[in-house]
Amino acid sequence: MDAPRLKDAFTRWAAAMDKAAPELNELDSRLGDGDLGVTLQKCALNVRAALPVAPDSVQGILKSASQACADASGSSFGTLLASGLLVAAKWLDGRSLDRAALSELLSHAVEKLSARGGASLGDKTMIDSLHAIAQALSQTQPQDDLAAVARNAAAKAIEEFRDKPNRIGRARMFAEKSIGMDDPGMVAVLRMAESL
Amino acid sequence: MKKILNAPSAYVDETLAGLCAAYPSSYKLVGARVLARAGGPVPGKVGIVTGGGSGHLPVFLGYVGEGLLDACAVGNVFAGPRVADCVAAFQAADGGAGVLALYGNYGGDRMNFEMAIEELASDTFKCNSVRVADDVASAPVAERDKRRGVAGMVFAFKIAGACAAAGGSLAEVTAAAQKAADACRTIGVALTPCTVPESGRASFEIAETEIEFGMGIHGEPGIWRGPLKSADALTDEMLDLLLPELNMAKGSSTAVLVNSLGATPHEELFIVYRRVAEVLGQRGIRIVMPLIGRYATSMEMAGMSLTLMPLDSALEGLLQAPAGCPFWKV
Repeated sequence: MDAPRLKDAFTRWAAAMDKAAPELNELDSRLGDGDLGVTLQKCALNVRAALPVAPDSVQGILKSASQACADASGSSFGTLLASGLLVAAKWLDGRSLDRAALSELLSHAVEKLSARGGASLGDKTMIDSLHAIAQALSQTQPQDDLAAVARNAAAKAIEEFRDKPNRIGRARMFAEKSIGMDDPGMVAVLRMAESL
Repeated sequence: MKKILNAPSAYVDETLAGLCAAYPSSYKLVGARVLARAGGPVPGKVGIVTGGGSGHLPVFLGYVGEGLLDACAVGNVFAGPRVADCVAAFQAADGGAGVLALYGNYGGDRMNFEMAIEELASDTFKCNSVRVADDVASAPVAERDKRRGVAGMVFAFKIAGACAAAGGSLAEVTAAAQKAADACRTIGVALTPCTVPESGRASFEIAETEIEFGMGIHGEPGIWRGPLKSADALTDEMLDLLLPELNMAKGSSTAVLVNSLGATPHEELFIVYRRVAEVLGQRGIRIVMPLIGRYATSMEMAGMSLTLMPLDSALEGLLQAPAGCPFWKV
């Protein structure tokens, strides 16, 4: 992964967030306060504006995107997204983002975001999706399409957790009612993976 | 959506502009979303900052004032403040004696204040934080750390603010805030929802004849939903939830806040307070400085909450110490 490809990926990511916003708002309104799509759209808007002036390095782009998301919103998902991008930027210090590094980086991010947000594996949050993607990426063959592996893992995680209750955050209050409902944050991760 | 506004996206900023235009000797904006005391930080005094989503006036920003808070980071309606605004609020509250962040127990607010503290804290700039988690409906007592912060925040602001105004150190102000946060308990009931301007949708749906007991101030689900009850029956049910957690003996004292969630009028609040005073009186519990009115709201939501905070002599003194902001004077 080099800087131009990462910028392209963020451009596609931003478009995917705009497109997914209504779906995510709708999902979030059943379990949360219905603003997940709005939050991600604000992040996308800021990231799009930051890309042309971002430094020409993978680390620099990740830092710019993180700041753009942090400036867009103080809601929990926006803050976690900003944290995750900053964690990635710091982790990459001196390393290159190759196939082998991706899974390791994601596992590291899962650990950091879990500490930041307080969610554990199994709570039915985006942490579970990121963990599933990291696991899947660690078992790939050189000929595998990594984007497809990530996409499939994110989709599988949603299916696996569909019939489990949310255990953290506002959705926790719906407990049994959240069984059978897809977690909005997990769906957001899937839409992000699809845009890669 | 039927609201008096210009554009949903301008809701928060135009509220802030109006607030500062109305009370220029009390408030000033030190950033687009950071409100501070007009006179700036008080040298040598421990600063107190808070922050959270908009839509709850007078919470949070309204309580910036003498004997209360020093600065507030302001988020969008029902969304946490940005990390950069939390950082700026700390700086605006810094009188050289350290700063306490005192806010409600919500995931986004916690993360943003923690990140701000990580960015700022140093040997020369001490920061602490205390979270208020007073809503008994939001988790059982064994999981108190999962409870949400609601109207009890007002008492925590008052106690911590009084301690800081009296010259308390950062450790003392933190301890006073924690003591208030640990002492207070709140239960609410919602009758009708409110609408977040930018989404344009009601925060929840409820039948004309139904109420939701224990609902949170952002429309979080409560304990039960059912037909409307009489004021006395509702009040008794609220007290039945709060009193067992508080162990107040005969002859003890308590603060009481009967709070409107926005649309519920003073008349109904006094009908409830009448019953609270009657029941506590029968138990020989003395009420100190009852507060009845709009202290922590959810925009136009109809409903109310009841907060109790048992008092020892130290808390009672801090509660009654002089304080003032445009929304409340003691």
